[in-house]
Amino acid sequence: MNANTPRQSPAEWEEGAQLFDRTTRDLPTGRHQFHKERMMAQIHELQQEERTAAPSRTGRRFRLPRPAIVLPAMAAAVAAAVVAGVVTSGNGSGVESSGGVATGPALTTQVGAATTKGVPQLLDQISLAAAEGDHPTVKPGQYIYIESRTADSFLKSVDDKTTLAGHALHRRQMWKSPDGTKGWLIDPAVNDSPEGETLSLPDEQGNTPKANLNGPSYDYLAKLTTDPDALLAKIYKETKGQGNSPDQEAFTTIGDLLGESYPPAELYPALFKAAAKIPGVVVVDDAVDAVGRRGVAVARLDETSGEREEWIFDRKSHVFLGERSVQVKQNTGVDALIKPGTVTFTSAILHRAVVDDIKQTPSRSQAG
Amino acid sequence: MNVSTHMRTRVRAGESSAFAELYDSYARAVYNHVFRLTADWSTAEDVMATTFMEAWRLRDRVDPEGGSLRPWLLGIATNTARNQYRSNRRYRAAAGAAAAAELSVPDHAEEVADRVDDRRRLATALTALAALRRPEREVIALCLGEGLDYEAAAEALGIPVGTVASRLSRARKKLRTLTEAELARPAGELALKKVRGNREGGCPGRQTRGDHAHAIRPAQEGNR
Repeated sequence: MNANTPRQSPAEWEEGAQLFDRTTRDLPTGRHQFHKERMMAQIHELQQEERTAAPSRTGRRFRLPRPAIVLPAMAAAVAAAVVAGVVTSGNGSGVESSGGVATGPALTTQVGAATTKGVPQLLDQISLAAAEGDHPTVKPGQYIYIESRTADSFLKSVDDKTTLAGHALHRRQMWKSPDGTKGWLIDPAVNDSPEGETLSLPDEQGNTPKANLNGPSYDYLAKLTTDPDALLAKIYKETKGQGNSPDQEAFTTIGDLLGESYPPAELYPALFKAAAKIPGVVVVDDAVDAVGRRGVAVARLDETSGEREEWIFDRKSHVFLGERSVQVKQNTGVDALIKPGTVTFTSAILHRAVVDDIKQTPSRSQAG
Repeated sequence: MNVSTHMRTRVRAGESSAFAELYDSYARAVYNHVFRLTADWSTAEDVMATTFMEAWRLRDRVDPEGGSLRPWLLGIATNTARNQYRSNRRYRAAAGAAAAAELSVPDHAEEVADRVDDRRRLATALTALAALRRPEREVIALCLGEGLDYEAAAEALGIPVGTVASRLSRARKKLRTLTEAELARPAGELALKKVRGNREGGCPGRQTRGDHAHAIRPAQEGNR
């Protein structure tokens, strides 16, 4: 654009502008954000319409509980960009079974570049997208169903020989009642039997743990404060002494709430706003979730372990895809077996829904 | 410029994040601009919201090259605001009512003098705007209210630069006489009634010419 070229003298210009110096003001409190969220919601809706109007899709799809589910079509096309490679120097030990999932060579990935630039903006966009998505209303007697694909790597010691092993990518399904007292888990890496195991309380030791930040029920989450500052303060307070550092533990705690849970609508954006306030949070330009969906990640490096925890979001829609931990720093000692680039844990959320019974999947019940 | 070009590309591509950024940067400017064109803050809020959805709809008409998208948004806002009041008579009625409302609030003892002055100045601005024809008002609002230069205002309104210049100069002539009369008036008097009688022959008034700092807001990048 050209330089400022008023054809009147600057003094005249200024004098005219003075006339309007009382006609500038901010939007009333809260209205800026209100209209922004509404605009973003409308835009996302229009984008969805444009997408569904594409020739490959016919008919109107009903609005799914979470847009994350719309993405697998695209994701399937992206062949697993996570390269499986042998990082361990050991041999042979990789094919033993552990609870039904073959353990194999560890997953590796390209370590994406991290920057602190754009962190608040990205989290802002993510929380806007989060505010706009559909969220469940769970009635008593119903269950929250979460289906994910997950894989991990770990050090495995047999006699005095330690090797890097991992659980291959597999399906994990979890049902949880909103009060957290009833549940079921099917995860071949965890279960002894193929039909899974109960998560209902009291547990096998007869304990009925109360819901807390590290083991939240839906009801518990619904009662949490949605004020980002208060929420973050609570997280720091209640996770004090845990983890490798207070900041990392706060970040991980929020990550856990994002992953295998179905945060209530009011809480969901607040989680991201709280995360934005944790020191050391970075943006990773390129990250791939467990099923190969590429995106951008909000991440934080655990300086002690050298692992970076990455929350992966769709680059455009900012929908949460999943999370993973990537070793980014060379360790020493036995931990040196976990080479930089190793994916120590990865989980892609494929489905979240409200269903009417344990072991019921949304295809069999109109959930949402 | 690179940043602007990149923004234009993203807007054209329909990236929602680009619209979030546009909104954060310019919602306030659009809101204020629309207020000047509608004389009503809550209408301005509605029109502001509509403006951004219009911008989304019209995103592929954005020129891939160019500077800030502020003039483009203000142009859309101008068109959207125009639909509020088809006739200038209605604008005048609204502005008159708004100006009167600013002035008629009884003088609370606790209301500081500054605040009273603010109200009077706002009423003056509205009264002045109401005295203009709509095309003049739009140019005035863009150039003086939002600090656009001629080229940007022309881009916003989709009219030739020369037209902007001539409208602006005509409008400013009217305004000068009006505002000088207004500002010379003692506080508390109803501004509205004075307008008509004082069209001609401005008093030299209180404004000193030529001693102003060159504090023009840059036209190409927005005030936030």
